[in-house]
Amino acid sequence: MLKRLILVRGAEIALFVVLGALPLVVDSPFVLGLLTLLAIYGVALIGLDVTVGYLGQINLAQVAMLGLGAYLAGIAATRYGVGIPLAVLLSGVFCTVVGALLALPALRLEGPQFALATLSFTALCATALNELEWLTNGAQGLSITRPLLLGHALDARDFFWLCTAILALVWLAMRNLMTSQWGRAFEALRDSPIATDAMGVGTYRHKVAAFAFGSGLGGAAGALYAFNFVYLQPMTFVYELTVILLLGVVLGGRKSLWGAVVGAVLVAVLVALLPNLLSSPLLFRVFSGIAFALALVAGVRGLVRRKAAAFRALAPIAATLTLVVGSFLASNTEDWRKAIFALLLFSVVVGLPEGLMGFASAGLARLFRVAPPALPPPAPLDAVLPARPADGSVLLKLDALSCHFGGVRAVDGVDLTVKAGTIHGLIGPNGSGKSTLVNVVSGLYAPSGGELRLRGAALPRGKPVAAAKAGIARTFQNLQLFGGMTALENVMVALRGAWRVPLPLVLLGLGRLEELRGRAAALALLELVGLRGEARTRATDLTYGAQRFLEIARALARRPELLILDEPAAGLAQPDVQRLLEIIRRVQQRGITTVLIEHHMDVVSELCETVTVLDGGKVIAEGSPAQVKRDAKVITAYLGAAEPDAAPPGAAPAPAAPAGAP
Amino acid sequence: MPLSVVVQIAVSGALMGLVYALIAYGFQLTYATSKSLNFGQGELVMVSAFVSLTLLGTGLPYAVVVPLGILFGAVLGAIVERVAVRLALQQKNDGWILLTIIVGLFLVSFAENVWGRDDRPFPTPIPDDPIHILGVDVTWLEISVAVGVLAIMALVEVLKRRTLLGKAFEAVSADRDAAELMGISATRTVTLSYALSGAVAAVAGILVSPITTVGPTMAAALVLKAFSVAVVAGLESGFGVVLVGLILGALEGLASLYIGSGWRETPGLLLLILALAVRPTGLFGKAKIRKV
Repeated sequence: MLKRLILVRGAEIALFVVLGALPLVVDSPFVLGLLTLLAIYGVALIGLDVTVGYLGQINLAQVAMLGLGAYLAGIAATRYGVGIPLAVLLSGVFCTVVGALLALPALRLEGPQFALATLSFTALCATALNELEWLTNGAQGLSITRPLLLGHALDARDFFWLCTAILALVWLAMRNLMTSQWGRAFEALRDSPIATDAMGVGTYRHKVAAFAFGSGLGGAAGALYAFNFVYLQPMTFVYELTVILLLGVVLGGRKSLWGAVVGAVLVAVLVALLPNLLSSPLLFRVFSGIAFALALVAGVRGLVRRKAAAFRALAPIAATLTLVVGSFLASNTEDWRKAIFALLLFSVVVGLPEGLMGFASAGLARLFRVAPPALPPPAPLDAVLPARPADGSVLLKLDALSCHFGGVRAVDGVDLTVKAGTIHGLIGPNGSGKSTLVNVVSGLYAPSGGELRLRGAALPRGKPVAAAKAGIARTFQNLQLFGGMTALENVMVALRGAWRVPLPLVLLGLGRLEELRGRAAALALLELVGLRGEARTRATDLTYGAQRFLEIARALARRPELLILDEPAAGLAQPDVQRLLEIIRRVQQRGITTVLIEHHMDVVSELCETVTVLDGGKVIAEGSPAQVKRDAKVITAYLGAAEPDAAPPGAAPAPAAPAGAP
Repeated sequence: MPLSVVVQIAVSGALMGLVYALIAYGFQLTYATSKSLNFGQGELVMVSAFVSLTLLGTGLPYAVVVPLGILFGAVLGAIVERVAVRLALQQKNDGWILLTIIVGLFLVSFAENVWGRDDRPFPTPIPDDPIHILGVDVTWLEISVAVGVLAIMALVEVLKRRTLLGKAFEAVSADRDAAELMGISATRTVTLSYALSGAVAAVAGILVSPITTVGPTMAAALVLKAFSVAVVAGLESGFGVVLVGLILGALEGLASLYIGSGWRETPGLLLLILALAVRPTGLFGKAKIRKV
């Protein structure tokens, strides 16, 4: 515990102490300018990392936020005499709002379309900054006077300290955010947006929030940028800087504060030093020689150890070799600046996909082996999952529910009543509409017609988040776990009513108590499904059976009125099926009503009082498991009949669907 | 302002819009097979135009230069796929966005140094004389652009629908793994789609250059509008890009007439953000049902 504190926090403190002390030792204006730029880019990259790293979307709009923030701060300070702190705040808030407005439409897109939309926004901003001459002075550029801070004129060193202090604050706020429920939600929605919605967390809301937050940091960095250079030009904030910022995140390492700062160092140094490097042919030849040697060593090593694909090893070698050859052929290296930049970037992006920090942190972790903080004892189950009265009253009622896809009537006029406290079986052959039915109930699909009521109140239609909030929780037939997160985090992210501390307080680090309570509650649920010992295991690394149980624990974290288990026994080995039976019984003891979709007839017979049988989207039978097994229509549906009405009475009743059939 | 001038500008703009449509069509070709596209497509247009210009300078006749230019575009497209796209696709990540941007950056620098930073005229045998149709002056050059764009798109569509290669495109597009199991090399199909896309880019370059001149900066100007067209129309419908391209081109002409030439790109970008708010899959894109 102490070791962890010293190593992790100590490294952070050391970083900022060294950064802060550097100007006392070095007093070259060039170095000071570089360090200031580093701090500014650091803030912008931490913001960009929220979308690129955590959401996993390529965001090309950060440079527009930088530009908007810079111009806003510059104009506010020059024309209206606004001070530095207020200007930085103003730019941050303004870009948060702009980011949210842009995100509302743009984040409905994925992958390339999102990148295109953000790129278009950047172009739009550059046009506006260039053309709104009455406001921005257009292409001639805007001169700014750096305002006083508390009556003091800031020299270069003071301004650097101000930027470093802001970077440190942003670092702290970001760390608090990412270790809170917000950070978990960001990671969850990238792994499985569907489950994030179905667990009531809200994919869209968090996406917009993440983008807005990152944009706000971009705006704040822009304000600092304006006061650093005291002269702005619209052409600064275009495509090229976009690419450079994006590369900063990728080169530094995604999803990492350290990565963002390392990326900022690379960007600042590369942009500032490349011109000097290129002015001397000899220097450039030496530099490209070193780059080639590095690529060669890394590539050959990767090939020999068979760790890297051939392309990953060879392409950087080829690119840096081009650089070496070019350094001897070209007489005017300055003119080839962009191409040299491109070749270098290409080598690093291909050769080091995890970024420098990803590469370094693997090594550091092996070197130090820092143990994670100890877990609290689990909370009492009564507090986490209060017992509900199993009074047999009507809980869920479906009336003439239907769901059509074009001409396919997947669910076609289903009436169904589920009583509180029972385990209600839902069976039927493949394609009978079971999964569609639960998708409608849990809000993933909007019904085409009919009524859904939970305790008499109409359920939201086609809105998974609202359905989850109304008290419905579910598991998925094809597992939808948040693969990159631990078992504990998977449960924590779904906990209902546990996360009440508002965002500003979370940023200040006041969410710790809530975090501890959440951990204890999640542990209690993991214990219920027998996974307490696996709390720290990543969901993808769990055994298949454990993954199924984890989905149940996660659904229980919603404290649901109604739990829907979609084929929980599919593909389970026999001992795991026994564990599953035990878990479902325990859940029933808490008074939670369960709808169980299952192909294993023995599981259904053992657990359910009532079973509803679907075929072709319609209910064909309902009753106790024994009644249903004898029902002629059910037997026909499962086994078929040679002639109509010719099913032999008392024939082998067990439906013969294989385990794990979708 | 007389109405005839407004109509004149709208028509000229719409004909230019067809070039954006053709570049956007190039995005669709690769998106169909691989769900990826070349962010450096504009650079492909520009470099192909420069190469064609150089070939014309050696005294080769126009009729020989055009196929050679197209061939060059196809080869360059295939190279982009090999260098910047394939690895990312194999690992199922978005790395190709960054890598195609980087390749584009390289090509711009290459063009700047080999052909210079200045815009150059692109000679063409097609006369620049206006002809008078329904009260609007249209030059033969503009007509050649319209005919060329529609002809090449029709040709590619026929290829896609009538040949076995086209079926392979469709199969890989529908399900990459299943296509591989059926003996279609998905990798080769993707490469071919990039080559085809590069060829289309070269055609766009050869068609538009006599009007706009050739220069290293033409890439960024063209590609941004093509992005707008592609996103507004959706990445599936060839008919959609033509329609959206025409409208966008006309709007662009009108914007520079009424607001000022610096704003000419604005309608496209605004249209894009608006369209996204209303229909994220594009006006002609298909909505997907999410399966659980």
